[in-house]
Amino acid sequence: MDINQVKKQWQELSTAVEDVEYAVSGHDYNVCLECDKVRDFATLMLDEGFYLVDLMAVHVTPAIEVVYQFAHFETRCRVLARAFVDDKVEMPTISDIYQGANWHERETRDFHGVVFIGHPYLKPLILPEEDVDLKPLLKAEAKLKDVDAVRRKPPEPAPAPKAKPAPKPEVKPAAVKSQEQS
Amino acid sequence: MSMDVKALEDDRHHRYVLNMGPQHPSTHGVLRVLLELEGEYAMNLLPVLGYGHRCHEKIAEFKPAKSFMPNTARMDYLGALIYNHGFAQLLEKAAGIEVPERVEYIRVITSELNRIQSHLLWYGAYLLDLGAFTPIMYSFDDREHILDILEDVTGSRLTYCYFRVGGVSKDIDEKFVTGTRAFIKRLRSRFPMYEDLVNGNIILQKRLIDVGELTPHICARYGITGPLLRGTGVAYDMRRAEPYSIYSKFDFEIPTGTKGDCMASFMVRFHEMEQSLRIIEQALDGLPEGPIMAAKVPKKLKIPAGDYNSSVEAPRGELSYYLVSDGSDVPYRLKVRTPSYSNLSVIPEMCQGMLLSDVVSAMGALDLVIPEIDR
Repeated sequence: MDINQVKKQWQELSTAVEDVEYAVSGHDYNVCLECDKVRDFATLMLDEGFYLVDLMAVHVTPAIEVVYQFAHFETRCRVLARAFVDDKVEMPTISDIYQGANWHERETRDFHGVVFIGHPYLKPLILPEEDVDLKPLLKAEAKLKDVDAVRRKPPEPAPAPKAKPAPKPEVKPAAVKSQEQS
Repeated sequence: MSMDVKALEDDRHHRYVLNMGPQHPSTHGVLRVLLELEGEYAMNLLPVLGYGHRCHEKIAEFKPAKSFMPNTARMDYLGALIYNHGFAQLLEKAAGIEVPERVEYIRVITSELNRIQSHLLWYGAYLLDLGAFTPIMYSFDDREHILDILEDVTGSRLTYCYFRVGGVSKDIDEKFVTGTRAFIKRLRSRFPMYEDLVNGNIILQKRLIDVGELTPHICARYGITGPLLRGTGVAYDMRRAEPYSIYSKFDFEIPTGTKGDCMASFMVRFHEMEQSLRIIEQALDGLPEGPIMAAKVPKKLKIPAGDYNSSVEAPRGELSYYLVSDGSDVPYRLKVRTPSYSNLSVIPEMCQGMLLSDVVSAMGALDLVIPEIDR
């Protein structure tokens, strides 16, 4: 697996690919996805030999966030992919690509009420049949936080020295772009 | 009442549903499996979960993260210390707490003893499932020594809550060290006996070889980790792949198989016990003096906003804690990725078309601990 090449493919599919410090967060990359790109992303990950570590939902505003975690058997590469559900609290299933997602998606349906479109058997897994719409892990209004409140803040002492060379990175992307065009 | 005569005429192809569990001895807990049988062949399987669900993830959102430690032990009652380890590490990582070196050594020694204990229980119980009654007497005899050693230092025998954020609750003493060294010697001397008594047994081989074969690709699709994955030949162990704690200091091998059948994972688990002994031995030799608690652990442990992941190698595979924090001391969301959950989900594909007796072999090879599936 060539990580740079895979990263390029991620960038095509996603809205943002972030390098994260493993020592702090336990991940190597964070990928933000639109919900209609989730299936393409999962297919790509399977082709590159990643396995599905976990799939879960986090209840934040503006919408419930579905989080996918992938890792690789051969090299250390822990990837966290996030996607917000759409207005109807729906998300395309990846259980036909990663069969292990089948139960995770059923559990997420139980606890957060996210409906996975195309799932072969979206019956309650943990909850009893009659409590199918209980959604026990949804937050109460008072406790519900905005998505920015649960994102990592940049470390406080760092911004001051970094503020000075800030204009440089702005120039660099422009230069790269012009090279690509030529 | 009318009878369906057609189905009876050709009853070789008559399918019926058999309910296995939730009180079946070979499911080791409250797992229920619906089997669609054709004769003695399982054509379809549907595991039914949730009988022992205790809402650990919901509980975590209602109390300070530090006080969630005892809950982690109740998820996997056989790997309680390793579950402690993962959670302590998660909070230390999130709050930026440096752990003294002696603590890391104590954690590794006790975790590895816990791993051997888990494997010994699996060894006896698995063979019991397969109809061999005697081996469990031997393996429980050995396991008892570990429980005694750990009871002295942790205060409990099964659901340990020994690790703290930044350290451990009690220092190990000379009695622990000599007891552990004596146990290493004892278990080493017992391995040849296990080999002769069990591993080479022709009935065992007939029950396990070529049953429930897995491939690395199946493992990737289902997220299978641990001895099952290593049985397919992939040397993937969190202690090596993402070395946490001080595992990078130790010299140990990762046993692997080739075929990915039940026999392969059986042998992987068996050989892992020896590797754990090696780790314990090296850790005891290098055990440094020092404090057993980090210098500054705030009483109210505020976790900076963001998300954190901590993965460790539990006896059954990869255990991951994923914590989302909003800056307070109570987790905003805590998700526990337990290995058995992903491992069990392969059962419908693994066992399709198998003899019913082989389904028991295959399910035992997964080394299920149901409370970690029903968190």
